[in-house]
Amino acid sequence: MSVSTRSVGAALVDVVGAPRISDRPEALRAAALDDRVPRWVVRPASGEQVAAVLALAAEEGLAVAPRGSGAAQDLGGPPERLDVVLDTLDLARVLEYKPDDLTVRVEAGLTAGALAASLNPRRQQLPMDPPGWAGRTLGGLVATNAHGPLRARYGTFRDLLLGVRFVQADGVSTWGGAHVVKSVSGYDVPKLMVGALGTLGVLVELTFRLHPMPDREGTWLITLASAPAAQAFIALVLDSTLEPMRFELLNAPALQASSAPSAPVGVAVSIGSVEGAVREQGGQLEELARRAGGRATALEEDFWDRCDRAFTTAAGEVVLQIGVLPSVIAQTLEAITAGQADLRSGATPMVTGCVARGSIRVVLTGADVQDAAAFVTHLRDAVHGFDGSVVVQAGPRELRTALDPWGPVEPAAFELMRRLRDEFDPRRVLNPGRFVGGL
Amino acid sequence: MSLSAAFVEGLRDILGPEGLVVSLEGRLVYECDMHTYYKGMPDVVALPDRTEQVVEVVRRCREHGVPIVPRGAGTGLIGGAMAPRGGVMVGLNRMNAVLEIDLPNRCATVQPGLINLWLTQAVAERGYFFAPDPSSQMVSSIGGNVATNAGGAHCLKYGITTNHVLGLEIVTGAGELVRLGGKVADRPGYDLTGAAVGSEGTFGLVTAVIVRLLHAPEAVKTVLASFASLVDASHAVSDIIAAGIIPAALEMLDAVIIRAINAGVAPVYPAEAAAVLLIELDGPRAEVDRQGQRCAGLCRERGALEVRVARDEAERTLLWKGRKEAAGAVGRVTSSYLLQDAVVPRSKLPDIMQEMQAIAARHGVLIANVFHAGDGNLHPLICYDERKPEEVERASLANEELLRACIALGGSITGEHGIGVDKAKNLPLQFAEADLNFMYRLRRVFDPHGIMNPDKLLPSHPACGEGFRPLRPSLPAGAWI
Repeated sequence: MSVSTRSVGAALVDVVGAPRISDRPEALRAAALDDRVPRWVVRPASGEQVAAVLALAAEEGLAVAPRGSGAAQDLGGPPERLDVVLDTLDLARVLEYKPDDLTVRVEAGLTAGALAASLNPRRQQLPMDPPGWAGRTLGGLVATNAHGPLRARYGTFRDLLLGVRFVQADGVSTWGGAHVVKSVSGYDVPKLMVGALGTLGVLVELTFRLHPMPDREGTWLITLASAPAAQAFIALVLDSTLEPMRFELLNAPALQASSAPSAPVGVAVSIGSVEGAVREQGGQLEELARRAGGRATALEEDFWDRCDRAFTTAAGEVVLQIGVLPSVIAQTLEAITAGQADLRSGATPMVTGCVARGSIRVVLTGADVQDAAAFVTHLRDAVHGFDGSVVVQAGPRELRTALDPWGPVEPAAFELMRRLRDEFDPRRVLNPGRFVGGL
Repeated sequence: MSLSAAFVEGLRDILGPEGLVVSLEGRLVYECDMHTYYKGMPDVVALPDRTEQVVEVVRRCREHGVPIVPRGAGTGLIGGAMAPRGGVMVGLNRMNAVLEIDLPNRCATVQPGLINLWLTQAVAERGYFFAPDPSSQMVSSIGGNVATNAGGAHCLKYGITTNHVLGLEIVTGAGELVRLGGKVADRPGYDLTGAAVGSEGTFGLVTAVIVRLLHAPEAVKTVLASFASLVDASHAVSDIIAAGIIPAALEMLDAVIIRAINAGVAPVYPAEAAAVLLIELDGPRAEVDRQGQRCAGLCRERGALEVRVARDEAERTLLWKGRKEAAGAVGRVTSSYLLQDAVVPRSKLPDIMQEMQAIAARHGVLIANVFHAGDGNLHPLICYDERKPEEVERASLANEELLRACIALGGSITGEHGIGVDKAKNLPLQFAEADLNFMYRLRRVFDPHGIMNPDKLLPSHPACGEGFRPLRPSLPAGAWI
């Protein structure tokens, strides 16, 4: 039914009921994306309501931004248009937890912390721990392809997401993937949804592979005198039979922020296994540290929680996600140091990251926009030579308009991405302008 | 049908005389893959030896609306590498080089025709391996593994092919050469690599693959446990997973298979057992030892007849030799069989084993089982004598019933073999119309002219929903049949 003769607001009320819609100015301002204030904040109670809202939005040519906890609202480009913010926080049920299969099916607005509370009694986990993970929704984590230290062992959401129900831009509810841990039936649709920022559909239900928690996790910090020494240590671990659960780089400010022993650079490694293996692999780790000229110290169990708190950022802080090869971690660190010297505001970048996967995270606090933009450009030039990328994961709008927050995408691949986006959302309902290349 | 002489000459100009097979005798071997029920001979077979040739062939076929069927080693089990409409088959076997091995970054770049096992052999001395290990790994190509998203015994711990592919170079159905992903793991944009792995050649032809390499574990331990019933063994599998142990591999063999292997390969397994579990643990030595003991304990609690640990590498190799040669040994039991690849949630193994026995009894067929129990991926072999049409019919009915039983338990119609032509008709069991429409449209993004591996992976004549705008055929209906 066309509602063009009535107000769209009234049609939204028909779909979700008045209590689930807000158009109070303060609520709208709180939901603004950059300087775009939505006309409505809608909080659906079910996947069916999400579908009905999107069908209406498509018909009326509205722009919709799905929202979870709101932790990643300044990822990507500023939105071209914004009419509806779709708040998913009421889609928060665990739908089906099958501990004996190590799988769980949840609604996308469930927070990772709430899921962990359901899994902990069975000593199972969804191993995904980006800073601030507990308060973030699983839909938001998947849509932004978030990842943390546990990535070293368990990979990213592309390795954990088995199935997904999403609502396409035209309101069609669609399922892809499987409920079981092994399936190659049809195209691997879940892969497309990871990191797509909701541009191919609004995530409604997610089925994950779970992992057992190891009997014990032991953590060591290896302090080193220089970036090349850290590189040497990383290479030794990668070329060994050690199987780190977390394998995280920390520069001096990051060590300080997490109350760890101070050093020019540190690498924190955890081993998760049975007691005996943790002890043995810890011994091997200490030996490799010595060979690289470093010093290994056993850390307390709460170290990773301290890191999580220390590296969770506040609104307005600049967060960069750098992707490089594990073999050029030292060069990347040196490029960061060189870039830091040019920062007029004297800000010190805090560097962490999963070295096993060449994933580096930089937090820049207190830099002005011009400084930050120059820093990003400098890093992009530095990693360009070794096929790396720098994405502005968070930061003020002015920074994300001064430069492309995503950075370049290879033209032929981008052409496919553009066709994909056009195929499924030709009217640009979902998050227009925010994804790579302004998609 | 026949391709015009000018078209074939054009292909010869691109590929040279060695790169094109046109004779009937030459093409005969390309009429099917290992699923020999489905036959369709291509009109010509192109054997490019470099990427530029692949691009040229695809562009020429696109211009003339000629279908393309990609082929690796031809070891697929789903009729994926046969040419139902004729056209051009592109065999990628000649493109079999290792382009780069980068151990510091634990990856390698290879051409699609490289045999899976050759890659591991190239890096084994330095302590590395390529994890996907389909039973065909000594003959199947990595390009084929990518196309089908192949699994294998050890994917229980290590994941299937897609978890080990970092990037692809593909020539899409539109004739564009595109690099997806790359050695660096994080790239902005959609994960098109992830979407392309397992697309069974319907997006395009893969011309290079960047794969992850893993470091070999410190220790490996293989445990054999035998049981008086399949159901007992299935309970043991569920217990091991529920105990939080993810072995590297957890395989089950039933009495029919045990007897066939003992007679045909070597006396490997306890002759009196109704089921054998092969449990392989790898990782840090202390972990392997501890988990080996726990697995053995869990098997005993489920009434195992015998539990033993392979004492040395020779015994371990023998235990695996039996498993890997199982499909061949079945030839002693039956002349023909239907091979199923369905999946159930792993906690439902006892249920499906009981159901399977009931189905076998109901249709009077022999069903042999050798499968990846740890992830619930069944491979029942439904035996029949092809000279008896009535037996073929019963086997076929049992096969369909089994597939539906797996779906009813919340499973999947394929765990690792893929869809091909064989299961395209079954896809609606698992996906609704809207889900299939999404897949049709996704396919069209990569292959706008509909020339890549037609009739594979998706049902050919869908009930068109609102979302799917059907393609206009580029040639008169029936032109290729």
